[in-house]
Amino acid sequence: MIRIAAVLWLVVVALAGGYLALRLHHGLAFRTDLMALLPREQQDPTIQRANDTVTRALSQRVLLLVGGPDRARARDAASELMRQLTATGLVEITTSGFDKDRLQRLGALYFPYRRGLLAEDDRRRLLDGKGGEVALRALSQVFGFVGMADARLVQRDPFLLMQGFFAALPLPLSKLTLDDGMLSMNDGGTTWVLIAGRLTDEPYALDVQRRLIGPLDEAVAHLGPGLEVLRLGAVFFAKAGAEQAMSETSSIGVASTLGTVLLVLVAFRALAPLWLSLLVIGVGVMTALSASLWAFGELHVGALMFGVSLIGVAVDYSLQYCSEIFAGDDAPPRRRLRRVLMGITLGTATTVIGYLTLFLAPFPGLHQIAAFSAVGLVAAWLTVVLWLPLLDRSKPPRHGAGMLAAAAGFLALWENPRHHRARVAVLGLALGIGAVGLLRLHADDDVRRMQSLSAGLVAQQQRIQSLIGSTGGTQFFLIQAPDDETALQREEQLIARLRPLVGQGALSGFQALAQYVPSAARQRENRALVHAQLDGALLEQQVRQLGLTQPPAAADDGGPVLTLAEASGAGGPLSFLSMLLLDGTAGEALHVVTLDHAARLDLLAQAAEGLPGVRLVDPAGDFSALLGNYRNRAMLLLALSAALMAPLLAWRYGVKRGLWVMLPPSLAVALAPAVRALAGGAFTFFDAMALVLVLSVGVDYAVFCAETSGARKPVTMLAVAMAACTALMSFGLLALSDVLAVRHFGATMLVGILLAFLLAPLARSGAGSVR
Amino acid sequence: MRRLILALLLAVAPVMAMAAGPTQSIAVGEVLRGRFVQERHLKGFNAPLRTEGHFVLAPGRGLIWRAEKPFAVTTVITANGLVQEVGGSETMRMPAARLPFLARLYDMLGGALAGDWRALDTDFIVTRTGDDRHWQVDLTPRKADDPIAMPFRAITAQGSRFVETVAMVKQDGDSDTLSFLDQALSSAPLTAEETAALDTLAK
Repeated sequence: MIRIAAVLWLVVVALAGGYLALRLHHGLAFRTDLMALLPREQQDPTIQRANDTVTRALSQRVLLLVGGPDRARARDAASELMRQLTATGLVEITTSGFDKDRLQRLGALYFPYRRGLLAEDDRRRLLDGKGGEVALRALSQVFGFVGMADARLVQRDPFLLMQGFFAALPLPLSKLTLDDGMLSMNDGGTTWVLIAGRLTDEPYALDVQRRLIGPLDEAVAHLGPGLEVLRLGAVFFAKAGAEQAMSETSSIGVASTLGTVLLVLVAFRALAPLWLSLLVIGVGVMTALSASLWAFGELHVGALMFGVSLIGVAVDYSLQYCSEIFAGDDAPPRRRLRRVLMGITLGTATTVIGYLTLFLAPFPGLHQIAAFSAVGLVAAWLTVVLWLPLLDRSKPPRHGAGMLAAAAGFLALWENPRHHRARVAVLGLALGIGAVGLLRLHADDDVRRMQSLSAGLVAQQQRIQSLIGSTGGTQFFLIQAPDDETALQREEQLIARLRPLVGQGALSGFQALAQYVPSAARQRENRALVHAQLDGALLEQQVRQLGLTQPPAAADDGGPVLTLAEASGAGGPLSFLSMLLLDGTAGEALHVVTLDHAARLDLLAQAAEGLPGVRLVDPAGDFSALLGNYRNRAMLLLALSAALMAPLLAWRYGVKRGLWVMLPPSLAVALAPAVRALAGGAFTFFDAMALVLVLSVGVDYAVFCAETSGARKPVTMLAVAMAACTALMSFGLLALSDVLAVRHFGATMLVGILLAFLLAPLARSGAGSVR
Repeated sequence: MRRLILALLLAVAPVMAMAAGPTQSIAVGEVLRGRFVQERHLKGFNAPLRTEGHFVLAPGRGLIWRAEKPFAVTTVITANGLVQEVGGSETMRMPAARLPFLARLYDMLGGALAGDWRALDTDFIVTRTGDDRHWQVDLTPRKADDPIAMPFRAITAQGSRFVETVAMVKQDGDSDTLSFLDQALSSAPLTAEETAALDTLAK
């Protein structure tokens, strides 16, 4: 019977192995963005869509600034890098769109509508009845040293209104000038040339990162001395982050594997327990990987990293089985398995329950971790139960006495009546520490602190921003209106409120569609204003002073106005406006106003007040709020998984003993954050998720202790000690991670598992034997 | 942009031409002052747009270009960039960081003053005729296909001790003529007012 089951399991494992080999052969797709591990926003789908569009446009941007003391060499280097970037087939260079006739085309687009287009300064002057100042400004431009306007332009627009409108446009990258076909600037003797591009593929795909940054690094290395290349783009940050995660995964993985191997070798002084344990974990990981790839199609690097650590718990079961050899009664493998079967089955069941509650958290990455770990654990359990007794040829060891004595000594601390007072005192102290710690507990949900961005790239980003100005922030206003005209009018109201905020330093600038294309109402109003304030005597005077042969042709103020559709057309000089123009549903217009260096979000949010359909969207802020929200939900998950485990334990032990079994893991869960708080750590969503796992692992230890009796007690305790050591090595080491989120997770696991182990014998306090 | 380059060239043309032709060169610490008459011949205008005023050129410091008729506009250009004022209020400010061309212009200027022609040679073919008493320098652009990078079809400067006239023909056929009158070289320091004007750009 058991042999048939073992063979069936072999078939399943072989199938999983075959599928995995097939997938590996085709190349694995790993995702690396932290955001994918985290929740999708549970909010207004319109905001979600706007958010996605703005975020995608930002994340696809690639900016390089090539600088050198010699203009020609900087330009040659820029050409070479541009060639390399284009050759990857992944980047569409957008700076080449700043061709020499772009300004002319912009002029051609605006010129027919010029009477409706006024710079804010000119509009203000006309509204104040100061048409004379506008005339003076135009004359100074014509007769001044700078600013001889185009002769044909002056003839048709003697007040140079259009030139004023033009100069006030918040054109992107306007700190740079076009120097012989390249956007350049000069900063203290260094010529900087900008290369801007749009990534045509996913910046978070490892493969894309490799294919883009590999050739780029090589090209930069061959540029020669004296040249500097600054980079900005999500793809660079993502690659640095992925590399860090990879190197951490391998170094933490190697350290924890080596530690576990050493522990097993030293404890058993035999190879069999080692290779049996490795077989259990190997089958677990392999089956889990295969099943996850089959179910999800791809796997997040973070899910892999967490998941492999979680399956490490499976070593507990093989250790429970293997340690039975120390019982010294020379029982055959089958009988040794039977003695631990109840313990490891209950342990697997409770742990799987714990992991599966992760499924209730709506985070795609956590689903992957949950599925990966649950499948892996069940596979590991099946391997222990079905294969280990068949493969095990171990002989009873002769060296176990010392370890068993130590385990017995540890148990005695909990069970010997002589230490009763000390136990009560220690528990009292622990509860006191817990109470003080819990009082000092503070939450931190700021997502920006959770990601560790490469310091070198952050410095480059800051230098680029100080050289070419803001490169766009993540916050924006979303304008939702029944049609484009209404949306533009609301933007105009918003802009009027934003202008003074720029002066106050609440933000450094903004880009709104209405700045490029005023609403039809505003254009008509401007026409009327120009007619009332400038046409007539002032125009005659201006024509005379300029010495024009004839006044400009009478304007047709009733004609069509400039529309958004005409201005933002593809291939046109303002095609970049399409980024601010989202596809609304029928009967709805969606506009985005992007913000530069938004420093005072409170004032910006106030600016939107009272404007229907206008909202400030702060993705990072929303995300932090959401993390806080989910931190609370994780605590609910924790309570829920405890509640789900309880009936299982009550069925096995009865209510009273079941409660005693729940006590050690519950205390570990309560005390771990308290101890972390005393050490100054903030409580984050990731600490909360760690507690879910502390509960699962803690229940395992408690169940192992509860299941054992008589002479087997020291053996069980020894196995639990070894299990705790391996868990500390796999999770505790995560506390060394540079990624703050992972560090929080690891540190809480470290403290929690230590507590769960130390308190585990309490589970036996519920009196008598079960059997 | 194109207008600005034109203006900048106008500003340095006297100096460039001076180094190309005039017998009198200016040393750092000396100041050249004079009057100018600028005529712009533009299609569609009755008469050329005529501007008159005074200028102050201080090598190593910058240029003050003060138009007086028909309209008072003051423009100051230094290595930091350019500022234009009307009646005490600033109407334009252009930092040099935004203008690679301006930075190159200063290279040319520095080179020309030191008798080094290579800087000017990269953008123009320089032809010099006449003698020290009546000389003429013709500048022909080497690359004329991009009107933004090179707005001129030809630049001609004439003079004797100093530059006396500069004529510039733009790609579209419009032209500018500059006459410099009553020029005098002084080794006295800049006046307080002139220093203040040049310092506005340091802000």
